[in-house]
Amino acid sequence: MSALAERTAPTPDWLLNREIALCPCGCIGKRRKGSYVQKTINGASGLLRQVMFSDDTSAQRGLLQRLDPRIKLVALVGLVVAGSFLRTIPGLLALYAATLLLAATSALPLGFFIKRVWLFVPIFTGIVLIPATLSIVTSGDVVLTLWHWNGQPEGFTQQGLMSAALVVCRVASSISLVVLLTLTTPWTKLLAALRALGVPRMFVLIIGMAYRYLFLLLGSVSDMYEARKARTVGIERPDRGARRFVAATAGSLLGKSMVISEEVHQAMVSRGYRGDARTLDRHRIGVPDLSFFVAAALFASALLVGEHVLGA
Amino acid sequence: MHIPDGYLSPATCAVGFAITVPMAAIASAKIKKTVKTRQVPTLAMLSAVCFLIMMFNVPIPDGTTAHAVGGALVAVLLGPWAALIAVAVALAFQALLFGDGGVLAYGVNVLNMAIILPFVSYGIYRLISKGSALTSTRRVTAAAIGGYVGINAAALACGIELGIQPLLFHTANGTPLYSPYHLSQSVPAMMLAHLSVAGVVEAIITGGVIAYLQRANLPLLRTNNPDSPEDRTERTPRKLRPIYVALAAVVLMAALTPLGLLAPGGAFGEDAPSKLNLGGLGLKAIPSGLAKYTGFWKHTLLDGYGFSSGAHPVIGYILSAVVGVLAIGVAVFVVAIIIRAISRRRTADPSSDSTCQDKAVLSEHVR
Repeated sequence: MSALAERTAPTPDWLLNREIALCPCGCIGKRRKGSYVQKTINGASGLLRQVMFSDDTSAQRGLLQRLDPRIKLVALVGLVVAGSFLRTIPGLLALYAATLLLAATSALPLGFFIKRVWLFVPIFTGIVLIPATLSIVTSGDVVLTLWHWNGQPEGFTQQGLMSAALVVCRVASSISLVVLLTLTTPWTKLLAALRALGVPRMFVLIIGMAYRYLFLLLGSVSDMYEARKARTVGIERPDRGARRFVAATAGSLLGKSMVISEEVHQAMVSRGYRGDARTLDRHRIGVPDLSFFVAAALFASALLVGEHVLGA
Repeated sequence: MHIPDGYLSPATCAVGFAITVPMAAIASAKIKKTVKTRQVPTLAMLSAVCFLIMMFNVPIPDGTTAHAVGGALVAVLLGPWAALIAVAVALAFQALLFGDGGVLAYGVNVLNMAIILPFVSYGIYRLISKGSALTSTRRVTAAAIGGYVGINAAALACGIELGIQPLLFHTANGTPLYSPYHLSQSVPAMMLAHLSVAGVVEAIITGGVIAYLQRANLPLLRTNNPDSPEDRTERTPRKLRPIYVALAAVVLMAALTPLGLLAPGGAFGEDAPSKLNLGGLGLKAIPSGLAKYTGFWKHTLLDGYGFSSGAHPVIGYILSAVVGVLAIGVAVFVVAIIIRAISRRRTADPSSDSTCQDKAVLSEHVR
């Protein structure tokens, strides 16, 4: 799929953009808790949209796209490791600023890049961490008193706020680094890099094939759900029948996949498959790759050492 | 349950990889031995199915939806080792392609969702479904219970991993460096969501798919159970005899009795009002309601766990434990006899289910 995207024109914008629709959130009319059929169809199309978008961005000409995938993988994962060792907010902010710089030099739309990371961070990390900032969870020095309980002031503690800020910054920079890696590397090259770095052949092979079949089976799933939607008059009720339908879909998907895998295996054997995988691409590490790697290593150690010196 | 990077310390992540890498190696060796080259497309398909099952929105009561992991299902169909690889690859997709679950936390995520979940589910499934026919309802129930317990075991592990972070990693002034919640907060938070919602969804998917395959695709069910008969009247489960139930209760409690000697202090909420630490609660006197009702029942046969003279406290404790255990054993015996009497009357009732089953067996014979 990604190889195809390199040769052909990029995916048109209208295919990637979400359509503007009437607000379903309840400001107009009655609030409805979306149907499970619609949610699953939306999920499937969202997945396809995301994959098409990352295929497009990895075909662009930017700094990270030019680098050898092995070097890029090691350098970016190394930065994630460095981020998990950092213990101060300024250090983590410096790391996040570096990811923004890399995104900008890799021709990624900066607004999209920031949004993709920060849409996730407040929802999952932010909401989860709010109780931890209060003195009822993290005991410490209360900086903002909200209420009193038996004469004790209760509210946000300095330790709680610091800890929440640390986790938010660390999660944001780690996600940014992983998003950078996947948006600038075609999936096939990423797999080749994993193989080159010692991940067993069987795992890489399975990941590669599973990725290919994901879209085939995704088509089956959305067909089944769309057929269900087309047959249903009115609102789908979340009742026993609905749960039976979901289980039956999963069951028939399993059955289908087992039949296909049998056929695929026969096709592979008849084409000479003996358990080994061969690739056509050969990567060579050049000067830009090495200099990026050295720069990333220097930056990570500068962050860690600088934090240690300033902290002491 | 997908833990992102940043919540776990590097040391915890390293432990996660140290456990999962050898397990994955064992899994690939085991799979290779049984199915040769065919494992590649089969496992690839299963991984894709696992990934997609995580996308299925299952409607649950109250109109909301939630999704399952699917690890229990693959474990029931093809064994826990195949499930390990299938779920681990699906998790790799999520971490690398969609930023769902971290790259450093990958080892820990695999440990929870691809090792603990399938193995626990499979163990429970095997335990309950042992000896039953491929098309029996017991298999559906076993798969559903396995899925429910498995995902909750994984959630418990996840809660513990997050909960030990503030204990192990914090700065000098007590600021937690990673996940800030203690065990007493992270474990209930994880368990509440999984015991009530996610566990039900995993049970629906696992049990529902097995029920569907019993109707539509028996060969797939046979792959991991080649010896089980396809269809036979279910062997009647051994009747529990009341005396055994009562004995088991007595033995269990007798085995647990010494724990009471180890416990420091009294149980929460069982102290006499005069022993309460009122100052610590900001109170100056025993609350009036507590003072009024505390001596409501004074007619107990024995006073406290010991001799009235207060001599030999350990012997007194053990003696009262023996008396208590025997009393409870007799009570369990009586309850079991009553339950047996009721269930016998129900079997004798002509309108009950079991007679319908008999009729079905009869009609089968007539055919």
